[in-house]
Amino acid sequence: MTASAGLASDLTAAPAARRVRRLRRFDLAGLLITLVTLVAAVIFAFPLYWGLVTTFKPEYEIVRPGVELWPERFTIENYVHVLTQTKIGLWYVNSLITSGAVTVIVIIMAAGAGYAISQLSFPGRRLFWWMILASFMVPIPALIVTHFIVLSQLGLINTLAGVVGPQLIAPVTVIIYKQFFDSVPKDFREAAVIDGANDFQLLFRIYLPMNWGVTTALAIITFIGAWNLFLWPFLAISSEDKMNITVGITQVHDAFGVQYGRDLAVAMLAALPVALVYLIFQRRVTQAIMLSAGIKG
Amino acid sequence: MSAEAPANTGSVAAATAAGAGGGAPHVELRRVTKRYGAVTAITDLNLTVEKGSFTALLGPSGCGKSTLLRMIAGLEEITAGQCFIDNVDVTGTPPAKRRIAMVFQSYALYPHMTVRQNIAFSLSVAGRSKKIQNERALEVARILELEPYLDRRPAELSGGQRQRVAIGRALVRKPEVFLFDEPLSNLDAKLRVQMRVELAKLHAELGATMIYVTHDQTEAMTLADKIVVLDKGVISQVGSPLELYNAPANKFVAAFIGSPGMNFVAADIAAMNGRTASVILPGGRTAEIGVSAGANARLAELGVRPEHLTIVDPNDPQAAFAGAVAIIEHLGNATILYVDTPAGQLIVEGEGDLDAKPGQTVGLRLSESHARLFGETGATL
Repeated sequence: MTASAGLASDLTAAPAARRVRRLRRFDLAGLLITLVTLVAAVIFAFPLYWGLVTTFKPEYEIVRPGVELWPERFTIENYVHVLTQTKIGLWYVNSLITSGAVTVIVIIMAAGAGYAISQLSFPGRRLFWWMILASFMVPIPALIVTHFIVLSQLGLINTLAGVVGPQLIAPVTVIIYKQFFDSVPKDFREAAVIDGANDFQLLFRIYLPMNWGVTTALAIITFIGAWNLFLWPFLAISSEDKMNITVGITQVHDAFGVQYGRDLAVAMLAALPVALVYLIFQRRVTQAIMLSAGIKG
Repeated sequence: MSAEAPANTGSVAAATAAGAGGGAPHVELRRVTKRYGAVTAITDLNLTVEKGSFTALLGPSGCGKSTLLRMIAGLEEITAGQCFIDNVDVTGTPPAKRRIAMVFQSYALYPHMTVRQNIAFSLSVAGRSKKIQNERALEVARILELEPYLDRRPAELSGGQRQRVAIGRALVRKPEVFLFDEPLSNLDAKLRVQMRVELAKLHAELGATMIYVTHDQTEAMTLADKIVVLDKGVISQVGSPLELYNAPANKFVAAFIGSPGMNFVAADIAAMNGRTASVILPGGRTAEIGVSAGANARLAELGVRPEHLTIVDPNDPQAAFAGAVAIIEHLGNATILYVDTPAGQLIVEGEGDLDAKPGQTVGLRLSESHARLFGETGATL
């Protein structure tokens, strides 16, 4: 009988307890932060939405005054035009080649430089380190004229190699690698040295695999940066066949001038791979941004 | 085996760590000095390790034992002097070419590789075929009972298994000299005892020369056939575990070896009678303590191990000291008493079933034949 009495009192006590729990769970600060974040998200996402919606509108609807949040007449004509009447396929391939090359070369060079500065002792090591630190204080656009002159003297203007070249200056990547390699306990290095590993084996078989997370993060962010780059490829390339996708957008016009729907359709298609990469590797991209933000301050 | 204590040779210490049979020298350090800027870690040190011996480098933190091992490994440059392995001067030889293998305190297992890859790493970097790598990894895994774990990563192993993989990585190279840098200090007490036995077994099976750095005297005493005690970068004494325990060359060794530690009591030397000295203990009692021939001093410190003091009645005419029991520790097999006497607090080790109470007044009888006298320089008289 005592058991059933206990059960009954539990039943009456239960709703009150639940109410207290619910009240305790009510978190005002959390709610406010969520609301602010939501508003910010809407503000950030709106231009993207506006651009996407515009690509599905006919041109006359686009230029019409007023704000229309949804197409009156839904059309994919802009996409059809871009995909059939422009060299978007070629631009995609060019973007893929240059961004891929930049990513691979930057990672190998930065890992090598980071390893050398972190692990080797050679004359001028400190000087190199300070030079690398100093170099990222100079904004790349400030060097663009110099880059143009050098590459033109090398005969690399209007080549894909010319697009890649200046993008290989990646001091932040070197700094990040150096810091990660610094934190690898020296026992690993010494054990491998006793086992007969040389510096290349140490880098590619111990240091890089032990920092695989940072490598993928840096590779992704380098790829996205190279894919999105506009100014340098725009200056370096003049023939339509060698343009990458960001520069290709500027070529989408006809005798009647700019057609916003078509331009935005190329822009959407250009952003698609980066958006996909971001969605798939979201955590890694965030990590990479945090890493470089930590360096850049 | 010979040892010259630094007390009478200044900075020069010469020592030989030989196997029981006293084999040929295998590792030899000649007048080795190591400096880090203005700091001297090792001073003009000579050491010979015989082939097949298990030699422990023992000393407190910062005594230079790890530095010494790392210089033998080639991981640390030798500031002055030479290092020989198998009568070949290897002072400038890179570590990989010294035919040594080293087990680190942290194990240094590569986290991204499986046990098999970790063990076979040295073969892999040497460009040996996959088949040979697999065969040798398997062979080593069998010896160390690691077969079921070959495809696991270090993170999936227990401390003891990781330790065995680290040893396996050393074994696979078939080195002439094994170097161990405090390899058991990351293990819990029980596992440490187990691994100690396994290491001793391994040494017996392989008969390879092993040099083992530790600050744990129990490890050194149980594993090594010779112990090199280091103090501030110089060798204090070299000898077998029992030699160090029973005949310490100086106060430092006497204090460092043994747990609980040796008791030290100030003593006045009343007379030297050849190989014995009559000393007056605090409290006025006299004792006859053995000394080496030709020893001469007026003031000394008497050292006696806790097990060489026996609890007797305070009025016993043979009691050298009398005092009150301060603390009692029951260890099961032994009882440790801390007794406050006019000579200071003395530690006494008695039988496991010793019946004593805190505050009780007891007399302590001294086993004179086991006591040692240390002169003002710290050297044993």
